Amino acid sequence: MRNPVGRFIAYIVLILLGMVGAAPFLYLLVLSSKRRIEILTQVPPHLTFDWSTISRTYNEVLYSQGMLAFTKNSLIVVGAATFIALIIGTPAAYGFSRLRFRGDESLINTILSMRFMPPIAVAIPLYLMVKGVGLQDSYPGLILPYVAFSLPLIIWILIGFFDEVPRELDDAAMVDGCTRIGVLWRVMLPVMRPGLVTAALFAAIFIWNEFLVALYVIDSRAFQTISLGAATLVSAQRPIDWNIAAAVGVVTVIPILIFSLLVQRYIVRGLTAGAVK
Amino acid sequence: MSVAIQAGQGRTETRIRADRHNLVVFMFVGPALLYLLAFAIYPLIYSLRLSFTDLTAADGTGTWIGLHNYHDLLFDSQFWNASMNSAIMLIATVSLQLVLGTILALFFNLQLKGSWIVRGILVLPMLITPIVVGVMWRALLNPDWGLVNWAIAAIGLTPPNWLGSTEWAMRTLILVDTWQWTPFVFIIVYARLQTLPQEVFEAAQVDGSGYFATLWHVTLPLLAPALLFAAIFRAVDGFRSFDLIYGLSYGGPARTTTTLAFFSFQNGFQFQNYGYAAAVAYMMLLVLMIGTTVLLRYAPLRPGRVR
Repeated sequence: MRNPVGRFIAYIVLILLGMVGAAPFLYLLVLSSKRRIEILTQVPPHLTFDWSTISRTYNEVLYSQGMLAFTKNSLIVVGAATFIALIIGTPAAYGFSRLRFRGDESLINTILSMRFMPPIAVAIPLYLMVKGVGLQDSYPGLILPYVAFSLPLIIWILIGFFDEVPRELDDAAMVDGCTRIGVLWRVMLPVMRPGLVTAALFAAIFIWNEFLVALYVIDSRAFQTISLGAATLVSAQRPIDWNIAAAVGVVTVIPILIFSLLVQRYIVRGLTAGAVK
Repeated sequence: MSVAIQAGQGRTETRIRADRHNLVVFMFVGPALLYLLAFAIYPLIYSLRLSFTDLTAADGTGTWIGLHNYHDLLFDSQFWNASMNSAIMLIATVSLQLVLGTILALFFNLQLKGSWIVRGILVLPMLITPIVVGVMWRALLNPDWGLVNWAIAAIGLTPPNWLGSTEWAMRTLILVDTWQWTPFVFIIVYARLQTLPQEVFEAAQVDGSGYFATLWHVTLPLLAPALLFAAIFRAVDGFRSFDLIYGLSYGGPARTTTTLAFFSFQNGFQFQNYGYAAAVAYMMLLVLMIGTTVLLRYAPLRPGRVR
């Protein structure tokens, strides 16, 4: 844009957009630094920070309310479920991208449309199944359903990445005596790193945010995940202490923010997975 | 004679090769299929069976009551209320987000310096926990001390009762969903915009057509596939999500923000009426199935795929 006035206006709009995107996060951060009474009296909140208040609030949230333990539970569940889903999903995505067999197209479509399945349609049966084998209130009780939720997502994203790797690479390796599995393990995995990171990122965020299945499967506080913990602490049903609620929100989203800033370039790839190029 | 033997061997070889191929296929896609069969397809069938029973959390077995739940649904004014709310929310959010997302994409296509930073910020809302989005906006819109109300009052206007009035709660839900998900449409449309050949626009410019004429006759038609994709994704995800509502309004006031997903959640979890909740969920699946069938027919999920 050459017109300087237009440029100036465009930059103002850009800054406003950035503020609309970021302000709610910053507001939550500021609220979590205030005392309960200050939230009600300082409107808008002043940008002065009292470290003893902040440490008191966050101590309360992390230890008394258990958010630190919930974070640990979530890390275990997210890590295990994402890892298992990648191990099962990667060969499947490779197979769907490279191998032809009867009914393959409709099978792919079936799996991909599972990405659209509403969790509420399966949460109760999954809970009854998990309960049936005595796995309620345990990590496996969450990991088993979460692998199923992330598989369609992972396969969806990875098929796109596999489709972009030229088939000549497979053929060359097979001429050299590699088996299909060898191709996947030795040739594909190294070039698929961006794909694997993207798939893992989206599966992990999905599981981190999921709380419906956890609501059913987990009864004891000892196994609550972070989004379940946050949901019970800040539910719209009951009055809450806003400094605590804000700190719970901050603790819940900070790991996602850090994680997604670290792998920022993969986010757009994951979001546009399957979109028309 | 020898020709016949060779032919026979050829056939066996073909069969062995076919068997090996099937084995390889099974090794690659088998585990995922079996897993999904056990933990996605089976629960779906289980859910269908539940919808024909009167199972509740209190009573462990549940008896077969046939289509009773579905019959009840059709005469349940709350079910129709929830359907209506879902429809309103979907139509409003999808159309708002498509328009705003496209405008954003066109704006970012100006390629201002430093715009990548703002793009990075705008991606964040859709990654964060929906419950926290709900809490965040409950704070921002708080009638007594919320930042938004303070800002509106500061410029001399009267803020509405965002979440407390039956008139505004659904609009507020739509606004918050739009804040969170417009960036999705933006990212999809922007990605498509980047791949369009610049010559088309230059040609239009040479032909002397103005910015808006070019936009309407050249750019938007080229963006149509991306817009369709974004619309379908937003519609499905908006339809099945209930957690933003859980954090923002809990379906209220007076059920004005109770969508089908939230209605099913409430029946299943709060009222522990598993059979009825399953029936609601199946009505949603019916809508989704019709939706995805149409989707697969008119907008293949994997376009441009070379096989």
